[in-house]
Amino acid sequence: MRQNPGQLIDQKAILYWRYSNIITAFFWLLIPTACYFAVRLWHWPAWITIVLLFLTLALAIFDVFFKPEIIWKTWRYDVSEQEIDLFHGIFIKTRTLIPMVRVQHVDTQQGPLLRHFGLSTVTISTAAGTHQIPALADDVASSLRDSISELARVVDEDV
Amino acid sequence: MYEPQRLHPLAILDFFIHKIYTLVQALLPLLVLAIAEAGSRKWLLLAIPFILLLFIAYGILYWLRYVFYIKGQELRMESGVLIRKKRYIPFERIQTIQITAGILQRLFGLVKIQVETAGGGAKAEFVLAALSRQKAEELSRIIQANKRIAPTNCAETTPIEYSLSTRSLLLLASTSNGIGVALAALLAVVSQFDDVFSNMHIWVKLGTYVENIAAGKVSLIILLIFVLLFLAWLMSLLGTIIRFAGFRMVRDNDNIKISRGLLERQQITIPLRRIQAIKVIEGILRQPLGMVSIQVVSVSNIGTKGEGNLIVPLLPKAQLISFLEETLPEFAMSLQVQGLPDRSKKRYYLINTLPVIIIAIISSIFIPMGYLAFSLLPLAAWLGKQQYQDAGWQVDNDKLLMRSRRLGRITTIIHRRRIQSLCISRNFFQERQRLNSLAIAFASGIAGARAKIRGMDSEKSNTIVSWFIQE
Repeated sequence: MRQNPGQLIDQKAILYWRYSNIITAFFWLLIPTACYFAVRLWHWPAWITIVLLFLTLALAIFDVFFKPEIIWKTWRYDVSEQEIDLFHGIFIKTRTLIPMVRVQHVDTQQGPLLRHFGLSTVTISTAAGTHQIPALADDVASSLRDSISELARVVDEDV
Repeated sequence: MYEPQRLHPLAILDFFIHKIYTLVQALLPLLVLAIAEAGSRKWLLLAIPFILLLFIAYGILYWLRYVFYIKGQELRMESGVLIRKKRYIPFERIQTIQITAGILQRLFGLVKIQVETAGGGAKAEFVLAALSRQKAEELSRIIQANKRIAPTNCAETTPIEYSLSTRSLLLLASTSNGIGVALAALLAVVSQFDDVFSNMHIWVKLGTYVENIAAGKVSLIILLIFVLLFLAWLMSLLGTIIRFAGFRMVRDNDNIKISRGLLERQQITIPLRRIQAIKVIEGILRQPLGMVSIQVVSVSNIGTKGEGNLIVPLLPKAQLISFLEETLPEFAMSLQVQGLPDRSKKRYYLINTLPVIIIAIISSIFIPMGYLAFSLLPLAAWLGKQQYQDAGWQVDNDKLLMRSRRLGRITTIIHRRRIQSLCISRNFFQERQRLNSLAIAFASGIAGARAKIRGMDSEKSNTIVSWFIQE
């Protein structure tokens, strides 16, 4: 079997994940907030809020300061004429192989935050679900999309 | 051939009943409220004939507008009273054709046709609610004949048959997994009684029974449980018998045709080249009896609960290989598998016993006599051992066989070109032990399905990867 894929995703992805995780962290903060009011309303023991707040903060710190860099370092992909090769994961490392002839279609997409960083996500659809390559530079993503689409068209088999 | 035509007028009645049924279902709480109050009851009684008339009129209009025909290589349908709809389905895109005959259709010797494509949605793309059997079969034949532009096998082969004997049907029914569902339904009904007749206090009574255990009145509660279990079993038995009576499967050239059902006769046609994979299922109740069932995996979801995919409900395991060789030679291969290395055994024991240990510890702290939960431990360990022993794989030319067990043992056989993607993953512990988990994804329904083996030797999983990408 050949080596793990070598292409890295765009380095700006780290910054993008950092910002998006800050936004998510604020949503996580809703849980201890709700808990705080629940404690006051029903006279639960106060330590529940403190423990929850502590856990949320720990999670947020990990998500904002450490996780983006680890994900960026571990994400690898390769696209050859025969197949698409994806490798990612922190605790569980997963390698996915998608033969080019199995690709049904390929999309690029970007939300407002991704657009701000000039990044796009490539989504590859097969008859059994979709696979994503996150946060590639816009021009890389669109040329990748075009080349996958071109390669996938060569053999047009039925499902 | 097939000129533009309408359905049999019975379709009006079918449409009418269906619409009324969904309306009543949706408005049931409102209706109950309206009937309960004398003032609104009068209005309701006045409104009902009017609404019924409206529905009949709409049904007739709908029937008048519903036209179907075949043009070239396409099945076409035009319908809609207010919103006009046209739907063209190329024969090539048709996945399955299902011919059913409900009670209504049977009274008039008619059938219903459902044509499905790979497109999403639980409903069939093309439904002809009432049609004479002769016309239905003609339609089915035209589609089948036109679909194969170049028949691969011109030699007329004799159709191969499989049918379910009465004895097998009874065995199938009595060992079906439906017993759990039926039991849950029965418990739900019993608990509903509690809401309706609140003075009965079923759960209070149950509670007193539980208290009586200590007093030696054990027999009553045991009797109750046995009666409940027996009723649940009877219900699932009847359900299976009704659905699978007269089961017949025919392999006819490039198609598999299934017909079954007591009240509603179902006829399903699955083109062989639409089959993504086959699954041999050994249920935990059927395995000791040496019985297996065979399912096909296809893109369209046929029938309810995927039961339409069951091409062989019950087969003695000894006949499995010869059955595959005769009926589905495309999927026939040796069922011997390469097992997992010794070092992955620990993980199987751990994953099964750990939850039981945690639950047992918690329950022995919080529930009186909760330590009894520890008695489940040997069962969990046994399951882990079985899961380890049964997991395995094998490659034969272009075919891959993967076997694993959750409760029942499932063997998946798939062609290389049907595997949509292959996934190898390893966690921290597996990395140290050079173990891998291997999963393949294949098309099934809208979302697709997966087969997975955990704890393979990484060398071995790499050979499968090489086989997959044909290096």
